Amino acid sequence: MGANTVPKLTNHYYEIAGLQLELRFCSTLSLNNILPSFVGFRVEKRNETSAAVVTFQEEEVPSEEEWGMLRSDISLVWGDNFRFYEQEDAFVTLIKHTVKDKQWMMKSSKDFRESRIYGKADDPRMGEFVSWLLMVVFGQVGLQHRLILIHASVIAYRQKYGVAFLGKSGTGKSTHSRLWLQHIPDTELLNDDNPVVRFEEDGKIMIYGTPWSGKTPCYKNKRVELKGFVRLEQAPLNRFTWKKGVESLVTVLPSCTALRWNKDLFNAMTDTLSQLMAQVEVGYLECLPDADAAKTSHNALFEEWR
Amino acid sequence: MKLRQDLVLRKVGDDYIMVDPSQGMVDLSKVHTLNETAAWLWEQSIGKEISVGGISELLCERYDVSQEKAVQDAEALIQEFEKAGLLEA
Repeated sequence: MGANTVPKLTNHYYEIAGLQLELRFCSTLSLNNILPSFVGFRVEKRNETSAAVVTFQEEEVPSEEEWGMLRSDISLVWGDNFRFYEQEDAFVTLIKHTVKDKQWMMKSSKDFRESRIYGKADDPRMGEFVSWLLMVVFGQVGLQHRLILIHASVIAYRQKYGVAFLGKSGTGKSTHSRLWLQHIPDTELLNDDNPVVRFEEDGKIMIYGTPWSGKTPCYKNKRVELKGFVRLEQAPLNRFTWKKGVESLVTVLPSCTALRWNKDLFNAMTDTLSQLMAQVEVGYLECLPDADAAKTSHNALFEEWR
Repeated sequence: MKLRQDLVLRKVGDDYIMVDPSQGMVDLSKVHTLNETAAWLWEQSIGKEISVGGISELLCERYDVSQEKAVQDAEALIQEFEKAGLLEA
């Protein structure tokens, strides 16, 4: 391989929750094979300016001295595979691997509008890693457009309303969604792990499916109006409680994506979230993994008069 | 003595809140709740040097309260702010 040959790049456009994402990848790579969950989000170029541009040329991962200051290595949303570093004019996202050759790295401008991914195209896990890195980009860029990427399992009810179930890993978010599918008529799964909540220009709050859905292949390019957030907690009974004001914010905040140590991005997120709280219901459900649990949250959100 | 400038006061429902992102490695943000008076005083004091004298004066202007009580409340408030880590280091 000639060290000086610059591979030709092809531009690919995607639209996720209304934001145009532009990927510039080596022309030899088939993006639909690498990123199958993104196929349904492909678009023709619509806007001159993309919300984010991500470039991949097969390049060596820069060495450790160039990463910058370590800012975070544990996150509820990202899991423990990521490390974030900060430099004077860039953020570095690293996907760790014990073998140096198998590490993936992304260097982004501070607003995440421009990123460059470093890694090996023959890595069998390339698609998975690139998809994760794109989620990092989208989560941070979205904040600047009043979008929040959340960690939730979300159902669409009557093709019209979305309900997002929140909770720590292992709480049973997916289980609760599945109980709705089984016991509440006219319910479908919109996304099982990483939907996007968007404050629309007309003031409505919508929840969107995305190319990221955890272990469940559910990549729907679709949106419904967000009716409410419900935080789940395992319990020996089913009991639903409403949360208001500061409690509603505290209930939802841990499930929102933002790099906590970046003041601007974090403030953008809290702004949007504070505004959401005025329009969206927030509940807390102590629950069993049974049909009655789904009926309890369904009743609270769609049947009760408050 | 000044209020921390990186904290943003927001109204959520009937509550006045400030979210303090943790600087550590784990996502553990603190959320501070202020009552209406404290929130108003916070807004009045942004970017300014704060003192018991200044705060008690503000209180006396806005509320029907004795000078003595206002000073007590101002002292208590500044202590609370300090304890909660809301003052600039």
